[in-house]
Amino acid sequence: MNNSPKARPVVAGIDAGGTMTDTILVDETGTFTIGKAATTPKMESLGFLESAIEASDYRGISVQEMFKNVDVVLYTGTGMLNVLLSRTGRRLGLITNKGIEDMVLMGRGLQSWGDYSYADRLHAVTHQHPKPLVTRRNTLGVTGRIDHMGDEIIPLYEHEVEDAVNTLLERDVEVICICFLFSQVNSLHEIVAEKIARSIIADQQKTTELLCSHKVRPVIREQSRLNSLLIEAYATGEGRKQLESIEKVARENGYRYGVQTLQSFGGLTSIRHPNLHETMISGPIGGVLGARYISQIIENDSLVVSDLGGTSFDMGIISKGQIRIEQEPLIGRFKLNLPLIAMDTIGAGAGMHVRVDPLTKKVSLGPESAGSEPGPVCFDNGNHIPTICDCNAILGRLNPDYFLGGKVKLNVDLAYEKFKQSCVDVLGVENVYDTAEGMLKMLDAEASVALRRILSAQGIHPSEYTLLSYGGSGPLHLGGYSRGIGFKDIITFQFAAAFSAFGCTTADFQKRFSRSVHMEIPLVFEASEVKHTITGINDIWEGLKTTALEEMISEGHASDQVEFQPLFLMRYTGQLEDVEVFSPLSRIEDEGDLNQMIATFRHIYRNINRSVSDYGQTSVSIMEMGMIASVEKIKPRLAKAKLGPALPPGQAFKGTREVYFEGRWTTTELWEMDEIQPGNIIKGPAIIEHPATTLVIHPRDSVFMDEWSMLHYRHSQEGIE
Amino acid sequence: MTKTDTMVNLRKRLEESESLLAMTGCYDGITNLECREQDPLKFETIHMKLRASCVSAREIARRISASPGVREVGEMVAALYTPEGDAIAISNGIMVHVHTMSRFIKWMIKNDYQDDPGINPGDIFANNDAFIGTVQVPDVMDVVPIYHEGTLVGWAGAVCHELEAGGITPGGDVALAQERFGEGLFVCAEKIGLNDKIRRDYIIRCERNLRMPIYWILDEQAKVAACFNMRDRVLELIDEIGIDFYQKISKEFIEEGRRTQLARVRQLTIPGKYRANTFYGHVTKGKPGFQPLGDPDWLYSIPLQMDIQLDGKIVLDFEGAQPWGYHSMNCTPAGMDGGMFVTLTQHMNFEGLVNDGAWLATQLKLPEGTWTNPDSEFCATATSWALLLPAYGAFQRMLSRGFLARGFLEEVFVGQVNSPMIEMGGISQYGKPFGIAHFECAAAGSGALAIKDGLDTAYVGWNPESDMGNIEIWELDMPMVYLGRSILPNSGGAGKYRGGNAFMSTWVINKSPEVRIVTSEHSSRVFDNAGMCGGYPAPTCQMHRVVRNSNISQRADARKPLVHSTGLDQNELTMNLEGDHQIIEGPHITAPMKAGDIFTHSYNGGGGYGDPLERDPILVLDDIIQGQSSRVHGENIHGVRFKGSIEDTTLEIDLPGTMAARKQLKDERLQKAIPVSDWFENERGKVIEGSFAPEVVKMYRAAMNLSDDFSDEFRTFWQLSDSFAFSEPKQGEDKHG
Repeated sequence: MNNSPKARPVVAGIDAGGTMTDTILVDETGTFTIGKAATTPKMESLGFLESAIEASDYRGISVQEMFKNVDVVLYTGTGMLNVLLSRTGRRLGLITNKGIEDMVLMGRGLQSWGDYSYADRLHAVTHQHPKPLVTRRNTLGVTGRIDHMGDEIIPLYEHEVEDAVNTLLERDVEVICICFLFSQVNSLHEIVAEKIARSIIADQQKTTELLCSHKVRPVIREQSRLNSLLIEAYATGEGRKQLESIEKVARENGYRYGVQTLQSFGGLTSIRHPNLHETMISGPIGGVLGARYISQIIENDSLVVSDLGGTSFDMGIISKGQIRIEQEPLIGRFKLNLPLIAMDTIGAGAGMHVRVDPLTKKVSLGPESAGSEPGPVCFDNGNHIPTICDCNAILGRLNPDYFLGGKVKLNVDLAYEKFKQSCVDVLGVENVYDTAEGMLKMLDAEASVALRRILSAQGIHPSEYTLLSYGGSGPLHLGGYSRGIGFKDIITFQFAAAFSAFGCTTADFQKRFSRSVHMEIPLVFEASEVKHTITGINDIWEGLKTTALEEMISEGHASDQVEFQPLFLMRYTGQLEDVEVFSPLSRIEDEGDLNQMIATFRHIYRNINRSVSDYGQTSVSIMEMGMIASVEKIKPRLAKAKLGPALPPGQAFKGTREVYFEGRWTTTELWEMDEIQPGNIIKGPAIIEHPATTLVIHPRDSVFMDEWSMLHYRHSQEGIE
Repeated sequence: MTKTDTMVNLRKRLEESESLLAMTGCYDGITNLECREQDPLKFETIHMKLRASCVSAREIARRISASPGVREVGEMVAALYTPEGDAIAISNGIMVHVHTMSRFIKWMIKNDYQDDPGINPGDIFANNDAFIGTVQVPDVMDVVPIYHEGTLVGWAGAVCHELEAGGITPGGDVALAQERFGEGLFVCAEKIGLNDKIRRDYIIRCERNLRMPIYWILDEQAKVAACFNMRDRVLELIDEIGIDFYQKISKEFIEEGRRTQLARVRQLTIPGKYRANTFYGHVTKGKPGFQPLGDPDWLYSIPLQMDIQLDGKIVLDFEGAQPWGYHSMNCTPAGMDGGMFVTLTQHMNFEGLVNDGAWLATQLKLPEGTWTNPDSEFCATATSWALLLPAYGAFQRMLSRGFLARGFLEEVFVGQVNSPMIEMGGISQYGKPFGIAHFECAAAGSGALAIKDGLDTAYVGWNPESDMGNIEIWELDMPMVYLGRSILPNSGGAGKYRGGNAFMSTWVINKSPEVRIVTSEHSSRVFDNAGMCGGYPAPTCQMHRVVRNSNISQRADARKPLVHSTGLDQNELTMNLEGDHQIIEGPHITAPMKAGDIFTHSYNGGGGYGDPLERDPILVLDDIIQGQSSRVHGENIHGVRFKGSIEDTTLEIDLPGTMAARKQLKDERLQKAIPVSDWFENERGKVIEGSFAPEVVKMYRAAMNLSDDFSDEFRTFWQLSDSFAFSEPKQGEDKHG
């Protein structure tokens, strides 16, 4: 994180979390600085600029100078996801096949338990359907059916489409979604319905938007396709406006190109990406990309990442260097058919409200969060509902004069008063501090249980995995939520608060284009069939390549910098799950190439699924062909230093403070994080402070800084809860 | 240890283990959990590792499978066993089979498989014989022994439910099977592989005896791959902790599971005797294909008694059950175990150590000769879920009474119901022979809870991870196109909290000249489920509405309304289609259908909880708006009065009208009420005269002929003479009567 003022800044990565917006500024030597500002959900560009100004300040340059110089501005955020989770999106109407309208309520059945823990999946009384994004009343069916071969079995009843559109317009929906069965095979009915709707909307001079499933997600499985469509319609409208305003701000300050964002599988793309829901989980996956980068340094390619911010706790896994890509992930409890770097999220963060029900005396965390506006009670900004952050302040874990480097002064007395009023007195207990500590333990337990759940669901054991903890509140709660799980190592960072943004900047420009096909390659084929298959494959690849190149050039990349990776999704004919095969060949010339491709599939298939599962008696089918176009981008680098003594330098010591641990006030050493040197060991109880985060070291635990300036948290008696 | 030593010791070891259990009451004589006491965290961590290996093995198998049943709706489970065949750790999925696989392994041990055909490293064994250890023929299980340096340290096992079993009718739940011989391809504890490879001759047998061999074969490979994966993980763990410690701790897990189950029962329930009864009707008279082996129509009474003992042991007694019959709904003790296990894991054993310990903390009393424990191994069990689901639904209600009595209101659950299955075969849309069981039935309505409505279209008893799958996936494998898949209004039992609603599907046959459609696991004419605390049962006896030679194409060409469900107030099929209309009471077994014919099939909802007149009128209104129930239902059953109309969105509750209507309905109830003594005398008269429907007489007579205890209790309750018996069957009635 050393400043190199002379080096030109080249990448600005900005990640807007629920509470804080982080900027990481990377220069051409790979060194970086970090800026941080409160997220401004109503107008994200304000927080964006504020945060960019701070990062520029740390480099000693103006924000205009920074924007003028950088080649890439990369913006990610959770704004769209929050719209989905809080159900504050647009009013939708849905036109689908008559007879299957209840799909929005039934959710395959699976959505009632899909993201549950092992125990809750079994414990049937806990199952519950998620609240649908479109009401059943605004879901209207029209007659018509296409079958899986793309044949029209029942023609589209156009008069029913007209009626449905008129009804939805009368009901003043903001977006009309159209999703018919097998539209990914034959989109004729969706195209006709869209045309009719467009004409009616124009006649009525309305501004209602239209979205069709074959454009948003042309992939088999109607429930997942519908969910993609509905989420695109429901949650991205506001998001798109926000992204455009951010680009406007960047350009006003001298930036020359289009702002980029991150797709859920990890590639950068323009904010004008047509299906913006594919970037919905962009911020959190930055952490996984960053973790991949870290894994190369720490020489452990198996990691669990955990990101605790103000509103949510996100978790991800890298196993043996492989980032887990979920092809059918659940987002906000909805099943999608979207390649996504697998992350699990629960609503748990330092900004969460803590409440006690006056009637039942039941204590609850969240689900609402104070966000950055008005913020926790201790921000003294009008909120009177205490939060986890307030509990931390009351217990002395946060430095009231050093929050965000002192930009926000914490009013601990106010937090105490409000917490006592609304929680402690309602509970009818005496000790305010014990109660506050209990609240923190509840949050830690929720996060810990969630981590155990994903470990268990993936069938992996923590003793082989390193836990990375980041996010503004990660270091604050790391000691609590990682205790007893038994990770091989636990690491956090000086720049923990901006780790996701850091991770995003490690991504390359990448676009993934694909086309559903159904190409069966029989066990024995005739020469003419071979020729036909080869031509088919090459034609599709060429088509995808042309589209990819055009789009990359349109985003300002030089054509000679674009690298292509063709891929297949293949399976044994009859199976329902594909294996992703990166083709070793860029073009298929003859039967030998075809056989090499099949051999590659079989090799990967056997590796994933064991050789006993290889059924050589059946043919192979290509279900999807794809092309990944990439352009490499400069990445940040961590600086390596020699390990020094265990004792931290004198200037790192900031004195002591009374902090409440395990039911009593304990004199606790305070340290400045940026002054800690590689090789230093700090024993708990201690608090390491940083303008953007606070690392709490519990009594008997310790923290060691390695040669990369990464902080290793060591539990005293690992496993004792 | 030599190979011979291993073989001798394995059988002896099993006998020793069983006798230690009998002597000490503890699994394998383990009276102290030493590993746990020494290091509780390590204890939990190791079990978590084993369970994690099962979970990930199941995911591997789902990737390989060709069957929508496994890939799409997760009809699979994987588990690890001790050398004696007791489950240590299990994945999620169809938990029914954890103990059925245990029975399979023990059966091989007891039948001297160590001698012949031998149990060696790299062997693969398969079974789908319910009398050895499974529920029904489509539940095919594979196990592989796990050897560590020549010592058998355990077994890895996996089960998939196959969608085609090669029986007399297509699919897996072969409704037409009246004896074992029509159920399909049997694999009876067979060694199907050596040296980690499935035998080619076994694959050929599958290829030549099944309608859709790819499902079965790829599932077989999927299961074996899963087993190998679990085997590797166990061997890695042994390398880490040592074989002696592994052998010790793996058994302690089971004893811990047993103790946890007992503790849970003590925590959640009140000891004592609980009783329940449920029924099942099976009507096949006149249906084509049924051989005249016995009575074609059956009414089953399913009486249950649950004793919760002071130590927490649950004893479930089926005394009074009726005899097995020449139909496919019989169940073996293995299947009965399975039903109990999956139910317990949903209510008590969902966290912590889920394994065979839970089974050891329970006891099933299954009278020989009844449908629960047939004394002829020729009998068919292809649709044993038909009786299992109602039985264990009643078990759930008994447990729930215990929860309620103890104050665990949020655990009270009215329970599972039958979910009729549709299966088909014939010529596919690709012009090839095919056969498949359609598994969207894995998403029925659940019973209500004491604190909220049951789950709509998202629960079945045999697999709490309910999933109906995508239409677009099912249509790849069947020559039928959905015209509708919609919630069936009013299909959940009414109550203060209603049962979850079911859904129905409507299809038109597509691109096939011949589709045979068979359905099973209906209950006809009687309720096979119930409500609780005043809640009503969910309706059963859904009819298939069929239109052959329909004019759907002509109507579509003319853009006239078609059909998408059977309709709520009017029959949409007769209204909108011409052709040969049929209404067929399940099971549906008729002549093949063809392109353009229409078929409808519906699933079941769950029972309700609490008095329907206490239902919050807001919930009633919301149900009407969401299409979950009809206005008439809200008025008649819940006594809610409305203003306005649903069509113009002005529907709202008339609160004073509702209060008055509810009072009137309650008054009417009181007017209808009679003293219990009068009711008893009246009913007793009917018993003495035998003035019931013939099926009811046959039902009681059959049970009394089989069980002295039931007969004594029946006579005592109704104050009958010691010699009382229902009159003997007339000629032509079933021989079991």
